[in-house]
Amino acid sequence: MNYEFDEILDTIKMTEIEHFDIRTVTLGISLRDCYDRNLEVSKQKVYDKIIKYGKNHVKFAKEVEDRYGISIANKRISITPISIPFDSFNRYEFIEMAKTLDKAAEDVGVDYLAGFSALVQKGFTKGERELIEAIPFALAETKRICSSINVGSTKAGINMDAVLKVANLIKKTAELTKDHDSIGCAKFVVFCNVPEDNPFVAGAFHGVTEPEVVLNVGISGPGVVLDAIKSVGGADLQTLSEVIKKTIFKITRAGELIGREVAEKHGIPFGIVDISLAPTPAEGDSIGDILKAMGVEDVGAHGTTAALAMLNDAVKKAGLMASSSVGGLSGAFIPVSEDQGMIDAVKRGNLSIEKLEAMTSVCSVGLDMIAVPGETPATTLAGIIADEAAIGLINDKTTAVRVIPAYGKKVGDVVDYGGLLGLAPVMAVREISSANFVNRGGKIPAPTRSLTN
Amino acid sequence: MKISEEELRKITLTAINELGDKASPELVRNIVSSAVDKLGAETELPKTESAVVVDRAILTSFGLNRPGVIARITALLAEAGCDLRDVSQKIMDDFYTLIMIVDLSSSKYQLKELSEKLEKIASEMNVKIFLQHENLFRQMHRI
Repeated sequence: MNYEFDEILDTIKMTEIEHFDIRTVTLGISLRDCYDRNLEVSKQKVYDKIIKYGKNHVKFAKEVEDRYGISIANKRISITPISIPFDSFNRYEFIEMAKTLDKAAEDVGVDYLAGFSALVQKGFTKGERELIEAIPFALAETKRICSSINVGSTKAGINMDAVLKVANLIKKTAELTKDHDSIGCAKFVVFCNVPEDNPFVAGAFHGVTEPEVVLNVGISGPGVVLDAIKSVGGADLQTLSEVIKKTIFKITRAGELIGREVAEKHGIPFGIVDISLAPTPAEGDSIGDILKAMGVEDVGAHGTTAALAMLNDAVKKAGLMASSSVGGLSGAFIPVSEDQGMIDAVKRGNLSIEKLEAMTSVCSVGLDMIAVPGETPATTLAGIIADEAAIGLINDKTTAVRVIPAYGKKVGDVVDYGGLLGLAPVMAVREISSANFVNRGGKIPAPTRSLTN
Repeated sequence: MKISEEELRKITLTAINELGDKASPELVRNIVSSAVDKLGAETELPKTESAVVVDRAILTSFGLNRPGVIARITALLAEAGCDLRDVSQKIMDDFYTLIMIVDLSSSKYQLKELSEKLEKIASEMNVKIFLQHENLFRQMHRI
């Protein structure tokens, strides 16, 4: 027998009992060849290309699911940042294009298509300004389209004009989708140092250096890590780190296997495995619960940042050993609404936005799925975004903000989206003003860390 | 072998140059197509070994020992046309554990269908049966 009984039981335990699954297989498609001076022709080219590559995406993923008995939670598509092929569009044309993309996503059978995006860390083109105006309407008028804007990078600094524009964009989106708890904001992310091969929606897009079409995979598995941590009881932190690494190693290997098989079925290159621990609102599938199992009484207690830093580092070490194609965000996600442990901590008053900000400095990705009062001024949102971008800028890492200024809601209310987006208690923000700082405009220059040559 | 558009253009241009005045569209087409056929035959690259080498699954079963469990499982595998590559079994008091390596390459059922049929046996006999592809074990436990 080639396999030990323990190894076999271990695998069965992970897949059958701990419900290990693959979070997403994301098909990246380049749209750079889809421009035409006629809008209708452009729309048709985009639609045809997504159908051409994407039509079997869900089917192939399901076949691989059946073959291995491991479920793939999400099948998604990412595209070239839309401002790049269509920089000559005006805002109305961008909204039209969003509807076409939405239709293509629906016809292919994916729940989200991401990449209605722009990279403006060093400044705007004319098309990018138009796109930013179009995004709130595009998000309000479509179901499946996700959007992101990169406002800063370690090499370029932070475009503070973009930060303020994006804050206003988020407010507008919240207002336009107020009948659905401002859900539009859940489909929009603002980044610093955005990776170009991230398979996780809403921030996914198909970077300009990527091939024509590529398959990226995002693993999951907080439940498996949680059980592994529980199994060693009160062991010291080095032992804990070892246990986490061993678990993540196995998850990553399985993730890469699944990704490669889906790519092989498509006949396209396999891109990367994103080893992020991605939670879901399901019981036990929580990063918050992992932190508690590590020993803090609740998420937000002093020591939480240290625990998260160790978890994130162990995840990376094991992932790098397990696969030669690690990419994307690759760290622990700490969204609030998508993680029951975090939701509970906020409800109990143990986790504040300031503590979350500190936690984001040691893990990917950032302030994620956080609801704040609807009356929060755009300048305060801009302050939140600038703080988060600064953490990314100085530490040479990706940071992001996905914040929902829930229209008409106050601290203590909740926004409830159901499904994977979950439920977010509205969190308090500082009432003192950031206006004079963010209204200065201009740029925060690139830090000394940008001078690495 | 795949010939890129550029290579094809080069071959065509060479043919036209060689033929000189004799070049007619039909003649060039014939020469190019026979050259391409020949190239394809000579330089056929060996197929790269894919990640999936064999189609084998690991069947694990355990539960309260009772007559006929293995018979039911193996009868199904035989009916499906699966080949048993290895079997290991232990009885501990009233319990048994069973691990089989099953070759699915000539099976008339996909892994999922087989799994569903095994699930039916498991619930009737009140035992646990799991069937998982071997690649998964190889990836997770072997470097």
